[in-house]
Amino acid sequence: MATDMRGRSASPGFWRRMLRSPNGVVGLAIVLTLIFCAAFADVLSPYDPTKMGTGGRFLPPGGEFLLGTDEFGRDMFSRILHGSRITLLVGAVAVGISLTVGMLVGMVAAFRRGWVEAVLMRGTDVLFSFTETLIALSFVAVLGPSLQNAVIAVGVAGIPFYARTCYSAALVETSKPYFEASVAAGAGPARLVFAHLLPNVLPTMIVVATLGVSTAILAAAGLSFLGLGAQPPTSEWGYMLAGSRDYINRAPWLMTIPGLAIAITVLGFNLLGDGLRTSLDPVERR
Amino acid sequence: MWRFLGTRIATGALTIWVTTVLVTLLIHAVPGDPVQIMYAQSQGTTPEQIEEVRRSLGLDRSIPVQYLMFMERLFQGDLGNTIRGGQPVLDVILERLPNTLVLACAAMLIAILIGVPIGFLAAYREGSLIDTGLMILAIGGISMPHFWLGLMLLFLFALELGWLPVSGNGPLNLILPAMTLGLSNAAIFARLTRSSMIDVMQQDFVQTAYAKGLPKSLVLRRHVLRAGLLPVVTMMGLQFAFMMGGAIVVENIFSWNGVGRMAVEAIFQRDYPVIQGFILTFSIVVVVVAISIDALYAVLDPRIRRS
Repeated sequence: MATDMRGRSASPGFWRRMLRSPNGVVGLAIVLTLIFCAAFADVLSPYDPTKMGTGGRFLPPGGEFLLGTDEFGRDMFSRILHGSRITLLVGAVAVGISLTVGMLVGMVAAFRRGWVEAVLMRGTDVLFSFTETLIALSFVAVLGPSLQNAVIAVGVAGIPFYARTCYSAALVETSKPYFEASVAAGAGPARLVFAHLLPNVLPTMIVVATLGVSTAILAAAGLSFLGLGAQPPTSEWGYMLAGSRDYINRAPWLMTIPGLAIAITVLGFNLLGDGLRTSLDPVERR
Repeated sequence: MWRFLGTRIATGALTIWVTTVLVTLLIHAVPGDPVQIMYAQSQGTTPEQIEEVRRSLGLDRSIPVQYLMFMERLFQGDLGNTIRGGQPVLDVILERLPNTLVLACAAMLIAILIGVPIGFLAAYREGSLIDTGLMILAIGGISMPHFWLGLMLLFLFALELGWLPVSGNGPLNLILPAMTLGLSNAAIFARLTRSSMIDVMQQDFVQTAYAKGLPKSLVLRRHVLRAGLLPVVTMMGLQFAFMMGGAIVVENIFSWNGVGRMAVEAIFQRDYPVIQGFILTFSIVVVVVAISIDALYAVLDPRIRRS
């Protein structure tokens, strides 16, 4: 498999560089651990995450309940484990929306030029200056608070940034000799976009998307924290954090644990993105 | 320079115009009947009253007519009345907007005062243990959810130590929310300053300055710092927008009486005129700040100033 990947990646020696970058290795380890937790949440959880009165209320961490219990006596460890599932799904879906639409807009604009480019990129500029927070908040205001709507909102809010990045990456490709040669050889638009542009902008977009997962997770957790995202009894981390406010004196671990979980997840994707950038992009390597 | 600024102002004007259109359409995008939803929570509203509201919001007219009505009122400084309480939306916003701006500016100041020196130090000692340590700190700072940081500062300084008040709107109350918002953005400034300074240090004119025998401190102060800070200035506009967005969350943690807290309350109460007013105000503030910073940038950067 290693040879296969080396053959396909944009720059040779990708894995070697990746494994030498401390950021990338730590990031990869965190992300893989998270995926493991999310995949086996049912097996790993000692209790039902939504069942009230599993233990007493406000039992401190340690002992029978590894991370303590919350105001309803629910096991925090099980809730955090199940929360990882939601968090990863939220990040993946939101980034999936931003990435798909953003790349399409960016590539079409760079490829088509003319008025299509003007309309798409001016539109992107306008949406970009709208800021992601405002777009996300407006979406939730219209659709109403729910986790699903928060994910859509965060995904849509990210589109302008992905479109811009993909546009500038694609624009560089269209001016390269191989691309012009392909145009001269009579390649059709579909071939030009999917066989030439797509594979060449992909490395850049993978880095952007990896870093973007952390932004999306933070944004969605922020909405849930405000009560505009996940609703009870979901064990979403941002929502759990919001609930902890009322018991901040009595049970500070209700605040520290979900917060730490979000921070570690976001850190993992940030480090992984950092490592990917230095390994994939020979120009920016330092 | 005027061409550069002209483009920015045109984009800004376009953004605000698009906002007015979107804000008018917003209420129609709501699934179901917006007026029914708005009044779903209040008891004893008669069908006549609902019709009255529908008329006063112009929802019985066609969408283009509604837009013209909205714009006409907007130019008269009328953003409509709040659904809860019936106060003019503009008054409600103007009463709270200064609080949000004060918070965002204080946070910006903290972010720059902490972030820029850290980034400069890291760039100065590039590759050293100090550099590595500071950048680990920065990536940690970027990964920290600001709502969590806010809660922890609240817990530590207001509840455990009792040094600062938990909530309210005095000058002392500003410290914790501004720190929360400022610290999470300081990390972004630190990273940006570092990469920008390292970039500049490798440029030919810096090598020339060394070559002609200028002492390091003078080269750094006169050449590197000035050129290296330009990208930081450009980022300030975007950062201010982040701050305004972050303020929405932070205001809610510390019960700071700004427009962000108002907006979240309005979303819960389905108070659409307030939401419309908030979106419009937010985008105007962000656009005006962005243009001002572009103007500052144009004055600072001779390449643009003389073009």
